[in-house]
Amino acid sequence: MVDLPKKKVGIVSCSGEELAEGTVTRLAALKVLEHLRPADTVAICLPLFMAGGEGDRAFARFYPTIAVDGCELRCAARATEMYSSKPAASVMVRDLVIENNLGQPEGKRHLNAAGLQAVDVTAEQIAALVDKLLDKRWDRRAGTFAAGSQDTSVCPQDMAETGKEATCSCGSGIPIQKLIISGQEVTFVGLPLIFQQFREAGKAPGDAILSEIMDTVKIYNPIPVEAKAAYGEAILGEYRVFWGKEIAR
Amino acid sequence: MTISGQKVVIVPCSGIGKTYGSVSRQAAYIVVEDLRPEDTQLAALSLLVMGDEASRAMLAENPAITIDGCKLACATKMVQESGGTVAQAFAVLDVYRRYKQFKPQGIAELNEGGEQLAHVLAEEIVGIVDHISIDSDVKDHHKGCENG
Repeated sequence: MVDLPKKKVGIVSCSGEELAEGTVTRLAALKVLEHLRPADTVAICLPLFMAGGEGDRAFARFYPTIAVDGCELRCAARATEMYSSKPAASVMVRDLVIENNLGQPEGKRHLNAAGLQAVDVTAEQIAALVDKLLDKRWDRRAGTFAAGSQDTSVCPQDMAETGKEATCSCGSGIPIQKLIISGQEVTFVGLPLIFQQFREAGKAPGDAILSEIMDTVKIYNPIPVEAKAAYGEAILGEYRVFWGKEIAR
Repeated sequence: MTISGQKVVIVPCSGIGKTYGSVSRQAAYIVVEDLRPEDTQLAALSLLVMGDEASRAMLAENPAITIDGCKLACATKMVQESGGTVAQAFAVLDVYRRYKQFKPQGIAELNEGGEQLAHVLAEEIVGIVDHISIDSDVKDHHKGCENG
């Protein structure tokens, strides 16, 4: 029985509209997301951090992220750290342009040849970081991942068996879980991951951890004051079920 | 540009996960680079997210037009959070509902429908920009008369 989605890497690009390098970050991120590593990556929307995208914030808290910035201001890296947690890796287009002796990217709407080259170089760099973070080795000759290097995390499809969903409002893949509380169905963002963290820390279900687990749940989910006790009871009950399954495995 | 030197700030959402985000970005470029380069300027949402002082000052001194790709309305929220005045908020989806013949597809590269939708959206934005500019000029003119 499995409870968690496949581990993925979040890509946060600055997408700066006022610079050609911003367009490079956007196109490079999309190249990784759509073509190079579609199964291993998800897009994280930078403005959503600020506009209250709890799914995006939660994802970046639980999973590794790569910040892709166009310039020295490093808005993507700083925003990710400010609103969620420190990115696992960082890429800056201007650094890559210098390191690879590329020409100056120009053209915010339509990149010049140097800009398109920068997109390819940046995308390759991101893909390599994704593989590193997921502990995968890419076999260039075979055009596939080397045997034995695949991430052993479970697949999102497996989650359907447990009644959990690998989705949220932003589509970032953060798992949600629905509980029935006082006859109402309530959706919790990140609950399976929180359970997993507590389980790995050896925190057995019980009143001793109620306050701590509720504090963690509250980071990503609103808890109505008047229903705090009912929410706590339901969450602790579900954690007991999770704990039992893990022990039985 | 108005007599007082104001330029309307165009703020697209540029969402990376959806086609409508690309339409918003493209429409912003059409307005700022092609249709009204003298009257408008672009603000980067990433800078607003980080509270960039220059961007906040730009919004404090000029009216803004926001273009959002989804219901979360990040561009509009960010301008408001940054102390700016949203003169008009556009939602790409609403524009698409009026021009369903232009079906946008693609994120990295928009299809023809997406480009056409961006163009009609840009034309609507230009209408608002012109309205704001005329209003500002009339106010500036009145001020000039009162002072002179």
